[in-house]
This record gives sequence, C-alpha cells and structure tokens, in this order.
Amino acid sequence: MNTVEIKNLTKKFGNTVAIDNLSLNIEKGKITGLIGADAAGKTTLLRTIIGLMLPDSGEINILGFNPETQKDELNLHIGYMPQKFGLYEDLTIRENLELYADLKNVPHDFDKMLEFTALTKFQNRLAGALSGGMKQKLGLACTLLGNPEFLLLDEPSVGVDPISRRDLIAMVREMINPNTTVLWSTAYLDEAHNFDTAVVIDKGKIIYEGKPHNLAPTPQEFENKVIELMGGYTQEESLIAKNYEWKSKYCDENDDECLTVEADNLEKRYGNFYAVKNNTFKIKKGEIFGLLGPNGAGKSTSFKMMCGLARPTGGTARIMGIDIKKNPEKARSNLGYMAQKFSLYGSLTVRQNLEFFALAYGISILKRKQKVNEVIDVFGLKEYEKMKAEELPLGLKQRLSMAAALIHNPPVLFLDEPTSGVDILTRKDFWNHITSLAKKGVTILVTTHFMDEAEYCDRISLFYHGETIAVGTPAQLKAQAGAQDMETTFINLIKESEKQ
Amino acid sequence: MKILLALVKKEIKQILRDPSSIIIAFILPLISILIYMYGINLDSVKVTIGIKNDDQSPEVATLVKSFGHSKYVNSIVFDNEKDIETALIRSKIKGAVIIPNDFSSKLSRRQTADLMIITDGSEVNTANYVQSYVASIANQWLATSKYNSTIVKPRINTEIRTWYNPDMDSHFFILPGSIAITMTLIGILLTSLVVAREWERGTMEALLSTNVKTIHIVLGKYIPYFILGMLSLAFNVFLCVCIFQIPFRGNYLILFIVSGLFLFTSLGIGLNISTMLKNQFLASMMSLGLGFLPALMLSGLMFPINSMPDIFQHFTRIIPPRYYVTFIESEFMAGTIPEIVAVNAIFLSVIGLLLFALMYHNTSTRLEASSKRVRLESVQ
Repeated sequence: MNTVEIKNLTKKFGNTVAIDNLSLNIEKGKITGLIGADAAGKTTLLRTIIGLMLPDSGEINILGFNPETQKDELNLHIGYMPQKFGLYEDLTIRENLELYADLKNVPHDFDKMLEFTALTKFQNRLAGALSGGMKQKLGLACTLLGNPEFLLLDEPSVGVDPISRRDLIAMVREMINPNTTVLWSTAYLDEAHNFDTAVVIDKGKIIYEGKPHNLAPTPQEFENKVIELMGGYTQEESLIAKNYEWKSKYCDENDDECLTVEADNLEKRYGNFYAVKNNTFKIKKGEIFGLLGPNGAGKSTSFKMMCGLARPTGGTARIMGIDIKKNPEKARSNLGYMAQKFSLYGSLTVRQNLEFFALAYGISILKRKQKVNEVIDVFGLKEYEKMKAEELPLGLKQRLSMAAALIHNPPVLFLDEPTSGVDILTRKDFWNHITSLAKKGVTILVTTHFMDEAEYCDRISLFYHGETIAVGTPAQLKAQAGAQDMETTFINLIKESEKQ
Repeated sequence: MKILLALVKKEIKQILRDPSSIIIAFILPLISILIYMYGINLDSVKVTIGIKNDDQSPEVATLVKSFGHSKYVNSIVFDNEKDIETALIRSKIKGAVIIPNDFSSKLSRRQTADLMIITDGSEVNTANYVQSYVASIANQWLATSKYNSTIVKPRINTEIRTWYNPDMDSHFFILPGSIAITMTLIGILLTSLVVAREWERGTMEALLSTNVKTIHIVLGKYIPYFILGMLSLAFNVFLCVCIFQIPFRGNYLILFIVSGLFLFTSLGIGLNISTMLKNQFLASMMSLGLGFLPALMLSGLMFPINSMPDIFQHFTRIIPPRYYVTFIESEFMAGTIPEIVAVNAIFLSVIGLLLFALMYHNTSTRLEASSKRVRLESVQ
C-alpha cells in the first residue's frame, strides 16, 4: 500500500517551474529521504503534498485524501515540521507541547517524549533560549504528538552538530511505529544513505528513486553517485583565488611561518557562565583552521570576539599582529567575515550590495566600479546582478556573501558555518575556492557541522562547553579518538570529555 | 472550541511576556493623558503685554493700572517702541498696547479715541487672546471712567451660558478624546504585528498543518487583544474620572459597549494590515499611516470636522475614530443621548463587521492565499 501517490504533478511560480511533471509513489511504513540541490523543489513538493500549496496540474493522493479538497481531514493524519520548526520562541518547552497537543486534540502526556529528547530538565525554559539541537528536538516532539501516520520533515538537520543529528534520527526511529511513513528532506547524503528509500530530485524532476544501497554500498560512494546524477562536479581552477592579490605589508607573500591570527586566552563570561574560556591558538599564513563543536559550544562567540563584534571579558586576539581589543577597526580592516545568517541587504540588488560593501571596506569611489565588475565576473554573478539579494537561492546567497567578504582582498577570512543548508554541489565548489585561496596565502578560520568538510582543514580545534578539548590535524585527531572517520572522531572526543 | 482556547491562551502568554504590549496598553495611555492634561491647552492663559503710554492725563494712568490688575494679563511699562520690539523678540511679552498722546483729549471731545494693539502673528492663538483681552479691559475701563456717558448702550443684551462645559475647560473633551487615540493604538499598532510575526517566524506554516481552521486563527487573534484593549479602556477611564477628575455624566455600561465596538473596528484594521502584508516592519509603518494619523488628525478631536475641506469631510465618514470621538465626548460631557449613541454604534458595528469579514476572507489555511502578496521562499 502506498501513502503517497502522485501523478504528473506540475507546480509553477510565475515563469519558474518548481515541480515538473513529477510522478512518485511512497510506500507505507518506509523512511524516504528526499535529496536535492537548493531550489530543486524539495520544500515545494512537501508543501504541495500536504495541501499548503496547490498544484497547477496533476493528481495527488495522500493516505486516500486529496490535499486540494480534503486538507482538513488530511491534517488529522499527518505531522509536518517546516524548516524553521514552527516553535513559539516566547513560550516554554512545555507550553509549546501543550499548544500543539491541544491543536491536535491529544492528551497532555509528554513524559516519555520529554525523557526521550532529554528535555525534561529544561521543560520550563523558553524555546527561544534553546540551542539549535534542542530546538530541533522540540520541533520534532511537537510534530510527533498524536502519532501521525505520515511524518514530513523539511531539512530537520540543517545547522545541527553530528551528535544532535544522530539523536534526531534515533528519536524518529524510536517514536514511530512500523506503519508510519516518513518523508525526510535533507542535504546530508550520509543521512539519506541509511533510509529505506532515496528520492533524488533536480530542477523539479526525479532523477533517482530506489534503495540507497542499490545505488552505492557506502555513504561516500553514494555521495559521488548522487553528484554524478546531478550532472557531476568537475573541479575547475578557482577564478576567485586566481584574481586574489596579496597586499598586506605585515607578512611577506612568501613567508609561510608568519602568524596571522592569534587568540590569547580569549574569554567571554556572562555572570557565572563562561561562554568561552582559555581559548588560545595561533594560525599561520595560508592555513585553514577549523573550529568544530556541538551547537552552543561557544564557536560563534569566539568568532565574534575575534572580529571585534563582541568584547572579550579576558584575554585578547591579534589579526595580522594588530590587537583586536586596542585597535578593533584597524584589525577588522584585515579580515573578511561571513556571518552564520545571511547578512546582506535583502532588498538591494546583487550589484548594489557589492557596491555598498566596497564602500564600507574603504575602496575609493573611482576604483569601485571596476572592482565590483571584476568581482561580479569572478564570482559568476553576472546573470543575477540585477536580482534582489533576498530572491537568490541559498547557494547563490552564500556566494554573494563570500564575494562581499573578499571584495577588499583581506589576508584573513572568517567563515561562520558558511555551508549550512547548502547542497553538496555548491559545497564542493565553495571548498574548491577556499582551498585555492589558502594556497594564495589567505588564512581561513571556519566553523562547520559537515564532518566531511573538516577534512579540508589543515588543523582543527574541537570546542566543547566553551573550552578547547583537542587540537590537531584531522589525522592526529582521528588517531587520538581511535576512529576511521571524522564524525566518529567528533562523537568519541566529545563523549570522552564528558566523562572527565 | 478547545483549539480556539489553546490559541487564545497562547496569545495571552505571548502578550504577558512581551513588555511592549503592556507598555502600549498601560504606560502609553498614562503618558498621553499626562501630556494632554498638562502639555496641551486650548484655553485662555495669562499673557504678559507691554504698555507704552504717551498720554499724561491722570485718567489714562488708571487705564494703565487696570491692565496690571487683570486676571488674564500681566503688564510691563515701556518708554519707547524699540524696547517693546526687543522684548517681543525675546518673548518676554506676547503683545503690546500703545496709548497715543491725544487719547484722553479725543475722549473728552466725544470723539472716538485710538488704541494701538500690537500682537505677535507667529503665534496666532496667543495673538487672538491678546487682542480680545486688551479690548475687553479697555472697554471695562471706559465703562467705569468719567467718559462713560459717551458709550452708546447696545440694544441687545447678550447672556452667554456654555452648556455641558460651563468653565470651558478643554481638558473635559480632550482627555476623553485621548482614549480614542489609545484605543486606536492598541487596536491597530499591536495587532498589525501579530499575524505578520507568525509568518516571519514560520509558526504559521506549522499551525496550518494541524487541525486549526480559519475561524480559529481569526478569533484566536481578535479575542486576546480585545481583552487587553478593554482592560486598557478601564484603566484609561479610571485615570480620567478618578485621578484627573474629568466629569463623567454618561452611563458606564453604554461607554463600555460602544468602546468595545470601536475596539472591534480597530482590531479589524490592524489584523487586516498584518494578514495582507505578512511583514512586521511594513505592517507597523502602514498601521501608523492608516490608523494612528487619521485618528489624530481627522477624527475631529484636534481639528473640527466641519472646518475641513469638503473632500476631507467626506473622507472622515469611513474612519472609525470619527464616530467614537463624537460618542465619547458627548457621553462624558452631556451624558447619554440615545440618538448619538445609536448612530455611532451602528456605524462602528457596520465597519467592524466588514473588517471582520475581510479578515476571514483573507485568512487562508494554505500558504497560497487568494492574495498575490504571499512571498515565502517559495522555490526551495
């Protein structure tokens, strides 16, 4: 029996075809992974399946209901978790659960749910004050209330650390019964490899449907196969790196031992709580330094202090030898910063954003036009230059953010979860630019939750509860944890530090 | 019913945790009443004027003196016009009187004597006061002076009685009118944010996949803010009547019923703005333009409607505060007048129901409403 039966579904937004004559059956009781690049049509497909959006043509049958006309009846049988989880940030964990229980007309019996999500202790804490991983668990708990027959999760693991991701999958498997159908959209291919079925969509069309293991036996090969299906990725010379010119007088272009970024006992304290403690590291010119750790470990706080956006309560940091506490503006002029959230001006066009940042970074008006033209060419933004930044798909937004961060040729680049929510092809391309830039001498400090990306780093600092628990090359860390891959390394090292 | 109750409970918790709603509902009225009470004054005030007397006769000296004894006027004596000008520029005086040297001789000859009054045209209101105070003081002086036989007795004696507000205290109508402003703010500004907030934070999408129906969403927003608005109304009335001693001659039950109707229309405007725009910033800007400014300028509270240009007079018919201001001023000062209550209550009900219907119509349980303005990150 099938939970989902879709025939020739088409959905357009204006002239853009989001879903193109798509037919799909999803078997009851199976966990299906929905994989696709940004703007491939994943969210639109989920929304159309439950009737939040209406199809332009085609037939949809979900659990025997037509979502176009029987949305109210269908709602009683499904659980849907949208991308932002749908939590009320000014309500507590318990109040969120109570609200959704009332809306789904199920009793207020959350003990098992709270215990399983390890949220019992925090049940009176406001949802807005939770870490990313906890929000995710709570969102999932709200969605699971009333034991829906059909569970739809829209990228539930975006921006979540490996431990929370494992917990999340375990939680879903534990809480559902054998008859529950799950449709799980994701950008993590290793995650999808574990599911019963994988559906890969690209430009609104299905390009693979079947058992992930039939495509490839290991997650790594599965990833390569999926990339192939999406059109393949060929590594090209990074124009961004090619056009980069080293300008700093502090380090000689060929001096690879020059220390460009130094953190010296950096500390951030809120009352009795240490968000960051004793954070010390030294990064050399051209090094890619990864800052890894669970959500809420203090990575972003460290970042903000190093850019002079937050004032350290102790210690200091130096960028190209300039003390960030004493001379924040001068230190900042040496770095490009890509924030975790998209932080360009959504209502300005691509070109206007770059013009603004050129000006903000002190590029003279005379040189500005030429510089912006150059950046637009190099970053491949030519065809989008007149589009508003908010209308770009995620991958392009991220490319634009990087363009803005690099417009003044900084010798140091800070990237705070630059690839969160970005699809595999775009990520590969992104890292190609990053590694090429590093070869040109740019020092890169990066945080990420993708463990495969950690492999690109020259050195990694593992961060937990505001403190560094391990530093070294990826190979050294793996040896220390006695593990084969980065994900297990991460989990082992965190668990070990918890024991102490 | 259970769903509605859950949504109302949720909304109330959000209100209680958000200091800005409490500030708008209770602190803002307090501030605005204080401003209307002590800051704005449309009544006569004591003004200082300058006097230059060129007539040395002893009779005229008593005229100069009577300017000093008036309840409404302080006077400073000047010797030359230059000093008067300087004092006027420095705002030490608001106007001046110049008595020419032939003043008493003209009066003695039973001719009409001239008295020059200089006023400051940059403050028209004050200029009018100066003019009328000086004229009336001069006439009073004339009536008691030895020249009084020259006065021609008027054939009609006017007796003035100001009903409903015998002291002509403008606070008696401005303060009740300020309630209309506060109620507009609560109804429009606060609620314009609340639907847009659900869209921006993504909670609306989650709600729409549960058992929630359109009517639950609509009432789930109306009810909590109606309660908040009525509490604020009670607080406002308490401030006006008990603290600031504004006389209330009407009926409290009728006051609260009609105020409830007015609140219903304000909520309707705010919620409709929020539902259509789905963006908190745009919605709050729009609510100021569409809600607050018309309530202040076109309701008849500050500027009388019948002195507006025709086109504006017609326009005021569609703005709810116009009906409410009319009602609340008469309810406070003149007591319950059935015709006024009925007419205004009917208009408010009609507008309120229309807005409610519009809100219901525009609230969809899908992401694609009939409105074309929906712009979620649609392609992902």
